[in-house]
Amino acid sequence: MAQWGVTEAKVGFHRVVLVQAGILLACALTTLSVRADEPKPTPENTIHVQLAAPVPPQKFAKPPKFFISEVIDRSGNPQPMLVLKDRGGMFLDRLPTQITREAIEQSLKAADLLAADAASADLVLQIYVFHFGLAQGSGLDFFGKVEFSAVVKNPKTEESQQIQAVGTSIANAAMRKKNVQKNVQANVEGALEDAVRNLLRGTQLREAVATLMKNNPSAPAAAPGGGMAFAHGDGSSGRNFNSRFQER
Amino acid sequence: MRLLTAVLMALLVVAPGAAAKDPEGVYKTAEAKHFTRVEGVELSPAFSDYLYAELRNELTKTKLFAQVIGEGEAVEDADAANSVVIDGVIMEYKKGNRATDAIIGFGVGARSLKLDVNLTRRSDHQSLGAIKVQTKISPKWNEEVMAKVAAQQIAHQVKKGLKDKTKG
Repeated sequence: MAQWGVTEAKVGFHRVVLVQAGILLACALTTLSVRADEPKPTPENTIHVQLAAPVPPQKFAKPPKFFISEVIDRSGNPQPMLVLKDRGGMFLDRLPTQITREAIEQSLKAADLLAADAASADLVLQIYVFHFGLAQGSGLDFFGKVEFSAVVKNPKTEESQQIQAVGTSIANAAMRKKNVQKNVQANVEGALEDAVRNLLRGTQLREAVATLMKNNPSAPAAAPGGGMAFAHGDGSSGRNFNSRFQER
Repeated sequence: MRLLTAVLMALLVVAPGAAAKDPEGVYKTAEAKHFTRVEGVELSPAFSDYLYAELRNELTKTKLFAQVIGEGEAVEDADAANSVVIDGVIMEYKKGNRATDAIIGFGVGARSLKLDVNLTRRSDHQSLGAIKVQTKISPKWNEEVMAKVAAQQIAHQVKKGLKDKTKG
């Protein structure tokens, strides 16, 4: 009787091994087929996103010079360049961090607010990109969203403030792939422009500039009417820059 | 006589169109803010973002504002008196019941959203009106569709309210 039980157990074990092998094979095949469906970037499905025109920043009483030290991706997106997965996929031609940097620098440069390097900058910006591209919408249209925060730091006083910027854009859905691509591109560009405008024309930036420049020891007194003081950097080239995020 | 008839005919064609035309860019700017929500409203965090985006989109379509700016953007002092701020609170959200909606229908089991919207002048924060909006959709539709419908209703009410105020 005991022998019978052992035999039964052995047969059962073989069956389990067979079932496990089957499951493994199925998993391997499924992974392969999924991989085959993953969209790949080609010149046809890649879009170039940039600002149509520089965004004019708000007017400062004594305009400071900004320098963007680094742009960091905090979206947690494993495929940051993939904008749309459906319809064969749609990709950005550059990383969202690069596009964001270019857009902000372009706008600052056009208004003569961009410093050549960190040493000559009054305020150093460190950008954290939280979202870039399409977000979940109603399904009836495309919902573009660009969200980032900027840590504005005075390299002289080592004081910093964080500001948020969000840009949204809604564009009509389309049926034809060509129109989908056109609409998505316009949508992401719209959201990017909106986010850059939200940053550069925001009251948060105005307050941050006023606070950080006021506390500058070598700066002259703050300009009247909400204006701000102006001072050059200390020549550290931003090497000593440590944001609150890095400290964490 | 022929000339007079022609002029009359032309007036009959042009006048209704001119009268029905909306006043474009009456206000310099409109700032839409993210709506807050009272405790107990169980909506995804992305809902507020989408409602904000849709509201801005719908406000632009009203053609009542020269520019619909983002939350927290600065406005020139000269334009502040002719600018409005729109903010609101999500008071209630009922996610509905698909079974009840399918069996009974007629709005029973529908997904619903109640919003209190405030319209203020930017320069002196004077209230230009308070709007109560209730949106009901089938529970088959997702939250974002509800946001779209709610944004359309808000924009419509804002346009109506501001036009009445301009006329009055």
